[in-house]
Amino acid sequence: MPVEVVLPALGLTVEKGIIIKWLKKEGEKVNKGESLYEVETDKVTTEVESPASGILRKILVPEGVEVPILTVVAVITDGKEELPEKYRPMVVEKSEKKVEAEIPIGQESSVFMTSGSTKIKVLPAARRLAKEKGVDLKVIRGSGPGGSILLKDVESYLAKGIQSGPKILTTPTARKLAEREGISLSSIKGTGISGRVMKADVMEAMSPPKAAGLKMKPFETKVSPVSKYRLGQIIPMNSIRKVIAKRMAQSKYTAPHIYFFNDVDMEKLLALREEFLTEVDQNHGIRISMNDFFIKATALTLLEYPLLNSKVSGDEIHIFPEIHIGLAVAMEDGLIVPAIPKADQLGLTEIALHRADLVERARQAKLTIEEMGRGTFTISSLAQFDITFFTAILNPPQSGILTLGKVELKPVVKSGQVVVRRIMRQGLSVDHRIIDGTVAAAFLQSLKKKLENPFTTFFKL
Amino acid sequence: MREITFREAIVEALDIALGRDPRVFLLGEDIGYYGGLFQATQGLLQKYGEDRVMDSPISESAIIGAGIGSAIVGMRPVVEIMNIDFMPVCMDQLVNQAAKMRYMFGGKMKIPMVIRCTCGAGRGAAAHHSQAIHAVFMHFPGLKIAIPATPHDVKGLLLTAIEDDNPVLFVEDKMMYNMKGDVPEGYYTVPFGQGVICHDGEDLTIVATLRMVHKALTVAKEMEEKGIGIEVVDPRTLCPLDKETIINSFKKTGKLIIVDEGNRIGNFGSEVASIIAEEAVEYIQAPIIKVTAPHIPVPYSPVLEKYYIPDEDRIREAVHKVLEYA
Repeated sequence: MPVEVVLPALGLTVEKGIIIKWLKKEGEKVNKGESLYEVETDKVTTEVESPASGILRKILVPEGVEVPILTVVAVITDGKEELPEKYRPMVVEKSEKKVEAEIPIGQESSVFMTSGSTKIKVLPAARRLAKEKGVDLKVIRGSGPGGSILLKDVESYLAKGIQSGPKILTTPTARKLAEREGISLSSIKGTGISGRVMKADVMEAMSPPKAAGLKMKPFETKVSPVSKYRLGQIIPMNSIRKVIAKRMAQSKYTAPHIYFFNDVDMEKLLALREEFLTEVDQNHGIRISMNDFFIKATALTLLEYPLLNSKVSGDEIHIFPEIHIGLAVAMEDGLIVPAIPKADQLGLTEIALHRADLVERARQAKLTIEEMGRGTFTISSLAQFDITFFTAILNPPQSGILTLGKVELKPVVKSGQVVVRRIMRQGLSVDHRIIDGTVAAAFLQSLKKKLENPFTTFFKL
Repeated sequence: MREITFREAIVEALDIALGRDPRVFLLGEDIGYYGGLFQATQGLLQKYGEDRVMDSPISESAIIGAGIGSAIVGMRPVVEIMNIDFMPVCMDQLVNQAAKMRYMFGGKMKIPMVIRCTCGAGRGAAAHHSQAIHAVFMHFPGLKIAIPATPHDVKGLLLTAIEDDNPVLFVEDKMMYNMKGDVPEGYYTVPFGQGVICHDGEDLTIVATLRMVHKALTVAKEMEEKGIGIEVVDPRTLCPLDKETIINSFKKTGKLIIVDEGNRIGNFGSEVASIIAEEAVEYIQAPIIKVTAPHIPVPYSPVLEKYYIPDEDRIREAVHKVLEYA
């Protein structure tokens, strides 16, 4: 069976790559994990490892040619088997150095994302600094020879990180007041000209939140208010959209979805968050969001119901060995789901730091394949919209996805009395092939219980 | 300060040593009446007489043997082997006897002997009289090796060498004898194991030896005008080696070129690169480059000999290569 070698998705916004060098010749033996070729994109230059062991039977894309990601660039076979007709080497006009090649029809891979890890060239000094500062080298673009990462690349990455916070416009009085009260200006929405933070805004931020004017930190989203599209327009899908389209269709057509909803009384959880929001902010420089609580609570519930942390593989159910909670992050053009690793084992602050970092880097298109692909369960929130509840399509190969609607004031009956409470409706979609209604219902019920009793959930004694 | 030549600085140092200490004497080929092949002992026979400045037969083994023997009995010989190329002739006496005696006799015996020799290509003297094989001797514990690069240092280092109780190989670059420089009058010493930073810089470190120090300085001054800061380090002695100065400079710049006229394999630069790899690996920002002679015998043809000797062009080339990583 021939194994297709594809140009991996090397970053979120990377759509194309140039194969700079084939490290193996046609007919040469390759082992799985061995470096097969070097690819250069507008972001990185890196080596791609062979997805299988065998003979590098045919190179389809020659050196120096730019092709879209997920293009089949070579075929590996285990012997002398006949190669199907469709594997034809790309014909390139010799005169041009960089050629944007047309992919012959039928050669687009069915693989969504290769897991073939890539080797990064790093100078020792750069590696030391990155280690010291906890920078993932995979997100840094090397500017040295052969795309190697130099010390200055790490330095400039760090410098960017420091400056990357948007510049906050503020009046001097507001700044002084905020400093005195220990309120982070970035957490305040300015009401002045061009969103300038005014003294009144800081004072409002200081006063305890009112029950009604509830400001939940939504899932970080960036949605442009004005549509950039116009009627009658025909838009070619970019590679990310194509991937999303395929994955969503694949998921919906192969996994029969069933949906469950219940209402969660958020009063205690919101109160708890208020209580240590400032402290965590001051001590760790991070604002714990509601999502961080959901991530943690979901991870803990998955420990009780591991079946929801699984995937279908042929005739088997594979329960993932670890719990990585994916977080749907809306991008201008699409949606990605970076995952917080081992969320069941992390503290809330750690989750918050991870979440902030992943979301920030998602925006900068600096996530790694690993971060985007490791999720075992997904949470999707539209809490910042006026949406009561919604259903979601499973993020393949996962078997469960949690959806979060907005928190709203609702009359509820407590001890025979009608009272006003802050209520959120959560939803769960599961793959009915392997998860039955009772299991899903029990999961959702357990999660609700955890969210409604946050002290016992989040403070293990 | 007054300027004198490298050669004159050597004569001065020897003169001072002979004058200060009656145990000091000179022995070598043509160092007496002829004044030395490079006139580095000129006038000393006339001043101190045949007992203190002795012409020897053409036998390296005899020269070193006599030196060791006299050192054992309390003299402080300064012997001359005309070219470092001839050292292998008396290699056993040097590395198996002189270098090890103090150790093997439990410190009861010292060998306070200085062996002056010349090294380096550039005089059309071919493969037997042009080599720069000083790095070979780094391999033998018990030997000290001085590699002066300026008239100032040659005088101060030579006086230190003569006062040292261990055998010292004192390597003089034969292309530097006429080089002029500031030299203080009278007695002073330059300590062993203390390198010197001849040119400050932040971007790149060049460790250079002997005459190569000056070639590195030429490039460093050129590059300075282009805004590139090259720090030039002259180790001044190979054993003991001032690792600290080299490592500290490297930690600052993260980039290193070593310029040494020795052959490429087993070059002094190889040792420096190894030290950096072992002790400062986390500071490496670029490949470490050795600028050396190629791994061939020194050619007799003047054209080829010129090509053989590392020059400013080759240093510039290395600098550009390293700066690709800046």
